[in-house]
Amino acid sequence: MSSHYEAPIRRPLIVGNKSYHDITVEVAAPVEGKANKLWWTVFTIALLAFLWGVGSIMYTIGTGIGVWGLNKTVGWAWDITNFVWWVGIGHAGTLISAVLLLFRQKWRMGINRSAEAMTIFSVVQAGLFPVIHMGRVWNAHFVLPIPNQFGTLWTNFNSPLLWDVFAISTYLSVSLVFWWTGLLPDFAMLRDRAVKPFQKKIYSLLSFGWTGRAKDWQRFEEVSLVLAGLATPLVLSVHTIVSFDFATSVIPGWHTTIFPPYFVAGAVFSGFAMVNTLLIIMRKVSNLEAYITKQHIELMNIVIMITGSIVGCAYITELFIAWYSGVEYEQYAFLNRATGPYWWAYLLMMSCNVFSPQFMWSKKLRQSITFSFIISIVVNIGMWFERFVIIVTSLHRDYLPSSWTMFSPTFVDIGIYVGTIGFFFVLFLLYARTFPVIAQAEVKSILKASGESYKLFRDAGGKNPAPAKIVKSVKPTKEIIKNTSEQKNVLLGSLGAFDKATQTADDLKLISGVGPKLEGILNNIGIYSFDQVSKMTDKEYDLLDSLLDSFKGRAKRDDWAGQAKNLKK
Amino acid sequence: MRNILKITIALAFIFTLSSCWGDKTKPNYQYMPDMYKSVGYETYSPNPNYANGLTSQTPIEGTIARGQVPYDYENTNEGYEAAKLDSKNPLKVNDTNLENGKKMYNIYCISCHGKTGAGDGTLVKRDKFLGVPNYKDRDVTEGSIHYVIMHGRNMMGSHASQLTSKERWQVTMYVQQLRAELLK
Repeated sequence: MSSHYEAPIRRPLIVGNKSYHDITVEVAAPVEGKANKLWWTVFTIALLAFLWGVGSIMYTIGTGIGVWGLNKTVGWAWDITNFVWWVGIGHAGTLISAVLLLFRQKWRMGINRSAEAMTIFSVVQAGLFPVIHMGRVWNAHFVLPIPNQFGTLWTNFNSPLLWDVFAISTYLSVSLVFWWTGLLPDFAMLRDRAVKPFQKKIYSLLSFGWTGRAKDWQRFEEVSLVLAGLATPLVLSVHTIVSFDFATSVIPGWHTTIFPPYFVAGAVFSGFAMVNTLLIIMRKVSNLEAYITKQHIELMNIVIMITGSIVGCAYITELFIAWYSGVEYEQYAFLNRATGPYWWAYLLMMSCNVFSPQFMWSKKLRQSITFSFIISIVVNIGMWFERFVIIVTSLHRDYLPSSWTMFSPTFVDIGIYVGTIGFFFVLFLLYARTFPVIAQAEVKSILKASGESYKLFRDAGGKNPAPAKIVKSVKPTKEIIKNTSEQKNVLLGSLGAFDKATQTADDLKLISGVGPKLEGILNNIGIYSFDQVSKMTDKEYDLLDSLLDSFKGRAKRDDWAGQAKNLKK
Repeated sequence: MRNILKITIALAFIFTLSSCWGDKTKPNYQYMPDMYKSVGYETYSPNPNYANGLTSQTPIEGTIARGQVPYDYENTNEGYEAAKLDSKNPLKVNDTNLENGKKMYNIYCISCHGKTGAGDGTLVKRDKFLGVPNYKDRDVTEGSIHYVIMHGRNMMGSHASQLTSKERWQVTMYVQQLRAELLK
């Protein structure tokens, strides 16, 4: 340890006095525990939104694109806006896991897993739009160059829309592989911790028999590096290709060479904002504040600030070039954005994207979690309007004034968008409860370099003893239990006493119906083992009920004794 | 696992093969036949809007389409005689007309009248029916030949629906050439 040098200026990336085991337990806790009411509530809302979206999509496909607000002039609006928006959001995940890996940013360890999950789930949402905005969805397979009976009728490889197909599908598959290889050690950890056979089976399948040998790790590192090297050009090219949808056209306001890097900067901008939104919530609800620290959020805010400034630069460049070009159509396109019928969208986009990230120059603001959360949402609203403004304001007024028109969305446009948000959260919420949301293997690799206690130890010249493990215990909950020691004794008399010195306590939470709180209550009474619980009969249930204020009748209803008998084996 | 893979491959193979033994007496299944059926009425398609159920209705009597000239000789003996005397071929005798006349003759006339016009077509040779005259035995003019193609005569039916006005005169020209050959 003492031979290790890390600049003392670096702040710890893992807060608190954590050991390897603490990391394991805290990462596994959301997966191994039960979902609470809040989760179910949010999940239900997301699911309803998703189903509403499914209904809107089916209505669109069944009835026709005419149910959307598109018209002959504005043939792309919410569909492609949402597509580009979701693709953009997806870019932060790969940026965090690949680009930051290439730059050896250790702070990526705490956030990369969730950022990649966000990538996958948002690319899935994005992938919906190119399909459902087709007039004939059922002929979508014709975008693929498959030999066929039409004299091998081929695709034209000159269209950026075809490049989109390749870009998005490659992007999704590479991201998925990258994500999954990173998950193998973590799934193996869950597999090895699983107590119930079903979970054991599932995580055995998911972890592909990972055993963590030195050779495996060596190859794992190489694969990660190679995939990061591949994913980085991919992440830049995918959004570039998406930007080509517009940049290669002849529409004033679209035909710009600035689009490829500008779209990518915007994608990173909105993607990091989304990561921030999600992780600020996740660190709270999953109790991962020690791994997703204020520093992580601050660093993401800095990325948001930088990319936001790049986007701001691009806006100014566009305006300058429009004026400098002397092309009246181009000049009118920007005049129309600023003062036309969609001025409010342009104003929203400008204020959300150009001004809001500039607040991050203030250390106080960028370190404020509440402020970061608000700004992260504001940025995504702004980036949605950026795409909307680029698409709609360029289309609704272009060369021929006789084809000028307006666009307004219908409830189906909105329903599909809401549906994809719902679908995204359905996937993300399921992920948060079944996947290790922090790459524990990677976090463990930086624990001794960037863990708070280890840093303190080093900073003190290695004089302090190695950080001692803080034994965590379940907080005793006394208030619920009545002061009836007599009944307790009767109950323990029939169930048998538990001797802490000779016996080990079972995890009573495995009994369906027993949570951490109830386990504490049972422990306080003196019930620690499955053996004791399995001896319960109606008499004991009644006694237990008389000892409990709440939870009455639950023990009998859930048949604790029967469950404990099974668990005892 | 390997067995599952084999079974899957076998099932996929059988599924693919099943397309070979469909019902050959019926048209095959179609995948999303968006524009397979015509929205408009095609010429020979049935049409429920008319009493006779046909899309191709006959034009009104006495109307003349652009580019068409009505044939004024009636389908009677008098008409025949009049055509024989007055009706003249408007086409010039040249190789193009004769060539197309031959082509049409070989399609529409050859099966009864024979290659040389000697009344020895395939159907006559096979005794399907008799009484097809040799061109040299009849005293015909270009007007009467054209009249017969137009209206038919005795056993011969009208060929007006098969041949256009120009083609009828070309065939007439070719028949005259055949007759001249036979008379030599």
